[in-house]
Amino acid sequence: MAWRRLRRPNTSTTASRRQNTNLLALNYAFAGLGLGAIAALSGIGLIVTYRATGVFNIAQGAIAMLSAYLFRQLVAVWHLPKALGAVIVVFGFAPAVGALVQRVVFRPLQRRRASAAESLVATIGLTVLIIGIAYQVWGAQAQNAVSLLPQHVWHVRSLTIQTDAVTDLAIVIVGAMLLGAIARWTSLGTSIRAVVDRRDLAELAGIDADRVAGIGWSAGTFIAALTGILIAPQVQFTPFGLTLVVLEIFAVPVIAGLTNVPVAILAGVALGIGASEMSLLTPTGNALGIWEALQANLPIVALLAALLLRQRLAGGGGDAGTTISLARRRTTVHSVRRQVATYAVAAVALLCPLLFPDVDLRQAQQVPALAVIFVSIVAITGYSGQISLGQAGYAGLGALLFGRFSTHTPELVALLCAALAASAVGFLTGYPAIRRRGLFLALTTFAVGTFVSRFVFQQPYFTNGLQVDRPSIFGRSLAGDHAFYAFELVVLAVVFLVMTNLRGGPLGRSLIAMRDSENGARSVGVDVRTLKVFIFTVSAAMAGIGGALLVQQGGAFSPDAFDPLASSIPWFAVVVVFGADSAAGAVAGAGFVVLINAVTNNADFFQILIGVFATFIGLLPGGIADAQRRLLDWAAHPRSLIRQFEAAAPEPHPRGQLSKAGLAAAEHIRARRIAAAAKP
Amino acid sequence: MSPAPHAGRLEAVGISKRFGGLIAVNNVTVWTSAGSIAALIGPNGAGKTTLFHCLTGVETPDRGKVRLMGRDITALSSDARARLGVGRTFQRLEIFPTLTVGENLQVGADNRTTAHMAHRIGGLFAGLIGVTFGDQRRNRNRVDEVVELLGLDDVRDTPAETLSTGTLRLVELGRALCHDPTVLLLDEPASGLDTTETQRLQQVLRDVASTNVAILLVEHDVDLVFGLADRVYAMAEGRLIASGSADEVRESAAVREAYLDVEPA
Repeated sequence: MAWRRLRRPNTSTTASRRQNTNLLALNYAFAGLGLGAIAALSGIGLIVTYRATGVFNIAQGAIAMLSAYLFRQLVAVWHLPKALGAVIVVFGFAPAVGALVQRVVFRPLQRRRASAAESLVATIGLTVLIIGIAYQVWGAQAQNAVSLLPQHVWHVRSLTIQTDAVTDLAIVIVGAMLLGAIARWTSLGTSIRAVVDRRDLAELAGIDADRVAGIGWSAGTFIAALTGILIAPQVQFTPFGLTLVVLEIFAVPVIAGLTNVPVAILAGVALGIGASEMSLLTPTGNALGIWEALQANLPIVALLAALLLRQRLAGGGGDAGTTISLARRRTTVHSVRRQVATYAVAAVALLCPLLFPDVDLRQAQQVPALAVIFVSIVAITGYSGQISLGQAGYAGLGALLFGRFSTHTPELVALLCAALAASAVGFLTGYPAIRRRGLFLALTTFAVGTFVSRFVFQQPYFTNGLQVDRPSIFGRSLAGDHAFYAFELVVLAVVFLVMTNLRGGPLGRSLIAMRDSENGARSVGVDVRTLKVFIFTVSAAMAGIGGALLVQQGGAFSPDAFDPLASSIPWFAVVVVFGADSAAGAVAGAGFVVLINAVTNNADFFQILIGVFATFIGLLPGGIADAQRRLLDWAAHPRSLIRQFEAAAPEPHPRGQLSKAGLAAAEHIRARRIAAAAKP
Repeated sequence: MSPAPHAGRLEAVGISKRFGGLIAVNNVTVWTSAGSIAALIGPNGAGKTTLFHCLTGVETPDRGKVRLMGRDITALSSDARARLGVGRTFQRLEIFPTLTVGENLQVGADNRTTAHMAHRIGGLFAGLIGVTFGDQRRNRNRVDEVVELLGLDDVRDTPAETLSTGTLRLVELGRALCHDPTVLLLDEPASGLDTTETQRLQQVLRDVASTNVAILLVEHDVDLVFGLADRVYAMAEGRLIASGSADEVRESAAVREAYLDVEPA
């Protein structure tokens, strides 16, 4: 769907017959130039924000999309002149959004030195939020974009040149030179470098780090807006479509190592021209389909290749990122009473739908299926510290392969085979994960998910004539809504059993050790490589099962249900918001998504709510599950709260804020500590 | 001067490591023997850390061999070395903050018996269905012993993230000990410790060495090193400039030159 509306050179058939191949190649090069220049521009925007703030702004795509919609609204609906509309959006709205986002979201995170994972989640949240808003306001229908630049065609001898492509390239080159000049010759450039190197030292030297970060954000969103407006006429103009195009051209900044602007320009132009030149070759038969898919999705291929070939993403911050701040749960087991209570509440909530009318029950059937997928994200992110933004890819594979296998084998066998096949892909993704962490891993898993979506789910060769039936056990059909729901619950229970084993015992401890400190884990012989590949394999199998359940529930395979942007990313956000390390939280999250869908009768409304939560994840890094845990801890043992309190602020003692019992507990703990320290 | 083979001995022979144009370590040979403490000293930039990384498996040397009890382990990763009995601590703490002290040690004990790849993978999938390999009771007993040895009983159930650096250095040491190392490599174990804690560490290290473990430590605190080590290696500018007993190294002209920056008489 992305990158698809490639322009063909405007040559008549008779003319093209007469043209020699060289001339045709040159014409194709000019045809791809405009898109290439915009890709370069988008890459530069990302690099600017990253270099000035250390944040890789995943929301770049969503901001570009929002700006394009706003521009269209101003010009096509409210009939403002194009130039005025562009000035309002590019010079007014976008930098203001950038400054606001920096002030409200990222400044608090940077102030308390939050982990890179929290910034990453915040940008993901922002993406989900903005897409949700655009979807509510403008709908999912593709719009006709307004073209900002005049589109003339020059004919120079036999060459066909679009004027706007040349203008795009001119904008990029002039802009890049301006940036280079600012970085090299102004005090702002020096300040930016200082802040990125060592924020604390830069502040000591009197540099206003917040101002620098604000400028970085504004510049980045300014470029994003320009990108969005320029690219909108050339791609599928929908909230998801346009955002995804910009996300796919993350290939450009990744090739440029998140730092090198000239390389970004070359990479962008090469991508644009390369995709266009691919039209020169027209293979026959099956190869044609593959070739066309490759051409339409060249950026995602380039992104995946660039991520796999790179050893590291960028110096310093790029690779940093621990998920500890999102997943704080310890292995300590709660009291039996609390466990029984939790399971009782969960059982009642999950069994309730069996009493619902058929229509509601059918909707409720999505809950266990989604819950299994969400739990697979908990296993990989919460329990093991690996960020996966490609989970919908495994789920979709599970769904698709279940459909394929179940025509030949009993459904239960097909379900197991589909899970195994999904786990094989998880196994393959686990290998690159060995050396990648944080943002680098997030982008790699996202690229894998997008690749699978584009080259498998959206290819009719794989999906045509797919029939999905609900399973039967020992000749007894589970096609009925009640029976199927009960079956889903059994599967969920089995998955929960596995999760318990992943949390406790030596295996659980090794996973948490790997999450908390890879070096520490290695130092006592934990085989981190094997463990990572293992957890990717297990998580992919779980996601595959969830996907198969989801498709059995709906009865048909739809590629959109497993889209990287419409599914993987919001799913990840839901899991983090409900507590990345809580399997129960994941089930609650699934319930929440389905409930909001049912109440609002709007499949994407939950994105706005989750987007807001995820954007402000810094306020509650452990998510809802952590808040609930602390509340229960506090209700059961105020002492444990005091202990945390004391740990957070050991001296001076916050006496004034403690109750009498709390004070006694704190004194007790302190006495014990002093005794421990005094021991010879 | 090739020493007689000792049980639990780690030796690095003719190690060289170059980063671009800089020769960080140049043909250095060190060894540790069971039951004794060796120390590596030198001014900043002497190549101590690079040599240490070559021993722990973080870096691969350009030339030279690392042998553990005669077995060539130069090409092994750091976790593979750990499984063969090379324990280590870190200069910058690498603790598991969300686990309690007891659980931190338990991770060390858990992974003692998993030497073969097939065994490890089998263990993972068995763990998935709730089956654990290895003697859990023996592992717990080992943790009890180490907790006792290091005097960590008061903080055993406390999450590691709430404890002071001094205690956490002990926890890291304990984690390595629970793994039953034959060689223990300590990277600046006294940094961040106060005088009392340093004295306590000294005593603990002597106790550990007396259980037939070979210890090699990199340390800036020269007083600690000369008071503790049976054998001292001094490095400067990538080369080994002196080695021998504490007294011999202290008297060495090359060491004085490196530390005091004076020409030898």
